[in-house]
Amino acid sequence: MTDPACAVTDDGATVDTTADRGRSAVVMRGIHRRFGTTVALGGVDLTLRHGEIHAVLGSNGAGKSTLMKIMVGLDRPDAGGVTILGEAVDRFEPRAIRSRGVALVQQHFTLVPTLTGGENLVLARPEGRLRPDRRACRDRLASLVERYGLEVRGDVVAGAMSVGEQQRLELLRALDADARVLLLDEPTAVLTDAEADQLLAVCRRLAEDGRAVAFITHRLAEVFSGCDRVSVLREGSAVISDAPIADHSRADLASAMVGSESSGTYSRRASRSDEAGAALLQLRGVRAGRLHNIDLDVRAGEIVGIAGVDGNGQADLEAVLSGRTAPETGSVHIGGATMVVADPRSRRSLGLAYVPSDRYRWGLMRPMDLADNLELGRVPRVRGRRAHRREAARPALQAWDVRSSGPAARAATLSGGNAQKLVLARELHDEPSVVLACYPTRGLDPNAADAVAGRLVDRAALGAAVLWIGAELDELFAVSDRMFVLSDGELIGPFTSPFDRGVIGLAMGGLAPGSAPSKPDRSPVPELEQQEPSA
Amino acid sequence: MTLTIGVEPRAGAVRVATSAVRSTLTVPIVALLAALIGGAVLILAEGEDPFAVYWTALDGVLFGPRGLSDTATAATPLILIGLGYALAYRARLFTIGAEGQYLMGAIASVALVTAAGVRDLPGPALMVIGATAAVMAGALWGGLAGFLQVRFGASVVISSLMLVYVAQAFLQWAIRVGIRDPDSFIPASRELGAATLPTVPGLDTHLGFLVAIVTGPCLALLLARHRLGYRVSVLGHNADALDANEVASRRVMLAVIVWAGGLAGLAGFAETAGVNGRLGDSASLGYGFTAIIVALLGRLHPIGVVLAGLAVAALKIGFEVAARSHELPSSLVGVIQALVVVFVVAGDALVARGRGGSR
Amino acid sequence: MDAILTLATISAALRLAIPVALSALGAVVSERSGVLNLGLEGMMISGALAAYSAAEATGSPWLGLLAGAIVGVLAGAVLVAFVVYGRANQIVTGIAVSLLAGFLTTYLFQQNYSIGQVPPRLNRIGLVALVLLTVVLLALVWFVLERTVFGLALDAVGEAPEAADALGYGVDRIRAIATLIGGGFAGLGGAALVCGPLGLFIENVTAGRGWVALALVVFAGWKPLPAVVGAFLFGLSDAVQLRLQGTDSAVPYEFFLALPYLLTLIALVLRARASRTPAALGVPFVRGTT
Repeated sequence: MTDPACAVTDDGATVDTTADRGRSAVVMRGIHRRFGTTVALGGVDLTLRHGEIHAVLGSNGAGKSTLMKIMVGLDRPDAGGVTILGEAVDRFEPRAIRSRGVALVQQHFTLVPTLTGGENLVLARPEGRLRPDRRACRDRLASLVERYGLEVRGDVVAGAMSVGEQQRLELLRALDADARVLLLDEPTAVLTDAEADQLLAVCRRLAEDGRAVAFITHRLAEVFSGCDRVSVLREGSAVISDAPIADHSRADLASAMVGSESSGTYSRRASRSDEAGAALLQLRGVRAGRLHNIDLDVRAGEIVGIAGVDGNGQADLEAVLSGRTAPETGSVHIGGATMVVADPRSRRSLGLAYVPSDRYRWGLMRPMDLADNLELGRVPRVRGRRAHRREAARPALQAWDVRSSGPAARAATLSGGNAQKLVLARELHDEPSVVLACYPTRGLDPNAADAVAGRLVDRAALGAAVLWIGAELDELFAVSDRMFVLSDGELIGPFTSPFDRGVIGLAMGGLAPGSAPSKPDRSPVPELEQQEPSA
Repeated sequence: MTLTIGVEPRAGAVRVATSAVRSTLTVPIVALLAALIGGAVLILAEGEDPFAVYWTALDGVLFGPRGLSDTATAATPLILIGLGYALAYRARLFTIGAEGQYLMGAIASVALVTAAGVRDLPGPALMVIGATAAVMAGALWGGLAGFLQVRFGASVVISSLMLVYVAQAFLQWAIRVGIRDPDSFIPASRELGAATLPTVPGLDTHLGFLVAIVTGPCLALLLARHRLGYRVSVLGHNADALDANEVASRRVMLAVIVWAGGLAGLAGFAETAGVNGRLGDSASLGYGFTAIIVALLGRLHPIGVVLAGLAVAALKIGFEVAARSHELPSSLVGVIQALVVVFVVAGDALVARGRGGSR
Repeated sequence: MDAILTLATISAALRLAIPVALSALGAVVSERSGVLNLGLEGMMISGALAAYSAAEATGSPWLGLLAGAIVGVLAGAVLVAFVVYGRANQIVTGIAVSLLAGFLTTYLFQQNYSIGQVPPRLNRIGLVALVLLTVVLLALVWFVLERTVFGLALDAVGEAPEAADALGYGVDRIRAIATLIGGGFAGLGGAALVCGPLGLFIENVTAGRGWVALALVVFAGWKPLPAVVGAFLFGLSDAVQLRLQGTDSAVPYEFFLALPYLLTLIALVLRARASRTPAALGVPFVRGTT
């Protein structure tokens, strides 16, 4: 590892960086940005300093990502100024800003999935017009891997890497350009706790090299374990700006993030029925994709939460339970009847409602009107006149509080929360006995998330069996009667209320609690252990 | 608060709706005019007076001895095929091979209707048999391309066109050997005889025209009020949502392309039994391609397709009339027709751009 | 039926394959950048007519080739304006371009050569020269795609345009360049058809070869060398059918007419699932939609 006080540039020159420490690297003043009538940023100030890790906190939709995009030129402010390393930015253009040494590691990776790690590096910062051969690409990556201690395989295409490895590759790519300012947008959202800790340690090292690091997150724990300063955004303005971490407590930051109301006020059911209802959803020995040998019962009146890091089989579970793909072995039963594959209408008639993880892909037709969207999966053979259909849709839209310009509005005009309520209005309309809800509150503001969670809880109270695949632990704790963790294609659990965050966290990291049988042929910490150089 | 929510957005919805209707009508009309202006430039280049040519054409269509009836006759295959394209394109199945389905429909109907034992049946029965055979053959030929798409992922754009060449080769064999009229010196099929479509009294065109005109509203009704129409819309807007909630999208794809092929096949029978009476060397006149223009000009709406079919046919007939008194190459009208579709596409892009900009 | 694969057949196969090979190379370039060029047939026939006119006027078939390529680029520019910058539907636009080019070339040709009159035959370019040209261009395309940073960026734009955009590559610009190159190759392909051993322009001279080229690109898995090999196989089946047409065979000659298209269809079907389509093929790029 290099001397922390020195950074070695690519031509081998050594630059003393300690002198930079504490100086401003990026100064943003009075940044305004609006999209249509929505104010994304209403006059935000932010200063990033060399040698420091700056946490930018905020709930969904607070404006964090917009602010970062402006800093790297992927978006431009309507008003306000940005100064990078002492020079004012006049042109918000990605390439120009990148050449000044600012790099963003985005939430959605910007790797090309068909190119190898090395080729992705070359694409980001080509040396000349010719493309080096595969070996040269690999060597270039290998030297970075060695220098920064971030394990990435050189000759595997990015699309075949785990999210953790992809993220390390993104980070290496930013470092390859010798970025002096590193912005990480929700980098830990897709990582296990252990990986997140490792990432924070890397960030610390990079900051000690004199870099300015911004760490965008909504997880408080990380702020205290690894950051120097904190800014908190709420609804487009900075409620805490550039404050040293030591000045604030967890409670301070939490209330700054969510405002006066406290977060996570899902309508927890007053009384949970202790009587076990009939098992309405049953999985028996299901294998499909990443899933192996899943057995699961969800009973009438209960919500079963499935926690886990993305990419551990959630997508396969969703595909099987929604009847999109058949399990390779095993079976799925809805109310005793066997699940049918690729026949969504009979899935519905079995009483299974489906709230998809990607509502715009699987749940809605954006260019079609709300009335048509409500009929998906329920449309009669002969339909009424359009005006009548739209009139008939009005009560449902009102009952579900879908705010729109009316049934004739196109689904594309709805906000995320209202789009999700539209999906719920349709899926829960026929009083289903089983509800499959996949990340039902993802991307929603707290109010909408509360409303959606409340509807699902109500549905369970009325006797439905609800399977809730989620990512936010606090939310799952609030709504679930029982929980499982999906890890590397296996269900760990059940866990029952009161939920132990520590045990569940370990399970999500691939460490099954002592009681659960561990498989000798499988590595217990898949992600971390598999990083050992294989080639 | 509730009051404002109730009133204000509704006005917005009306505004959105009217602007959609406006661009629906504006784009094709402007495109048609722009193509005519483009044609005027070409006519000028020919050394003719465009006003005089267009006047002669208009006069010939509206007041000429056979102007209207010829237009109706020429519009018949364009409307039928165009309706099939409109249905398929709504589902985002961009087939371009109706010419092949048209030919297969024509060949199958002629083969069956003139077969020994069948040809002695009374005329009306023969017409029904011929139409049915044509629809089924066209549907099969289209369905083949559709099957290759849903089963093997082979692009229906390319496969449907490859099947056009196969159908053209098959036609050549059919009129040379398969269903050849033994008395004919040049390769030609047997004559249809009693299956020939009767002339509609008062319209001076064959029965097929009426069928085409009636098919338009029927298809419009199907799209608006039947589940299949709904599924076609969903398929066109989000196939994944259809798969996850309504029905397997491949089934709808197949249904759509089979229907579209059937309509093209029917057009093949209507043209053969209504106009030519037999199949010859020149049976493949490219209606399958011109009908793409008709479908797009008609905004993929069945009523629009009927109107667009009449407009494109009128253009053709008008120019035929005008060519009698002016020096005009026969290929000029094709250029104008193709310009129409280019301007429709351009207009759509501009409208979409305008919407995107105001977002 | 003996000795179908004679030297004459092979040379006929090459002659028939070269126009398709050149067009397919162009389609490989534009499709790897994410632009589906269904105007290929139209660009070929435009190039063919331009080449014929230029070669006939100047007496030099090489100038004909040049003119064909230039007109192909111009036709590509129309597609670029619509689908890259206008974000129009690539399929519909491509079909429109092909339709217009088909009608327009027929019209322009009839302007100069009235029906029935036999148009003059050109000085022809020898087969060897055309084969060499094709090999050189194949090598060039391969080099640009596989060995330059531009080729890397082109793939990135076709696979993950938002990623390329975030890295500062101009997605529209790269797609525009790729489509212009594709148009130029298609025009050249059409030109090679008339300036080569045929030496003639006739209406609909391309006879769907542009569409065949598009199918071959799928067959080739979007790789230049397999695309050219595929084109040769098409040419071979075309040459064989021409030979067999004259022979007394139990199979009607119309079957052989259909054979190249049937084989193309079969090739398309066999490879459609196996080849990996560029992820963003046919999808207009709008920043911030994903």
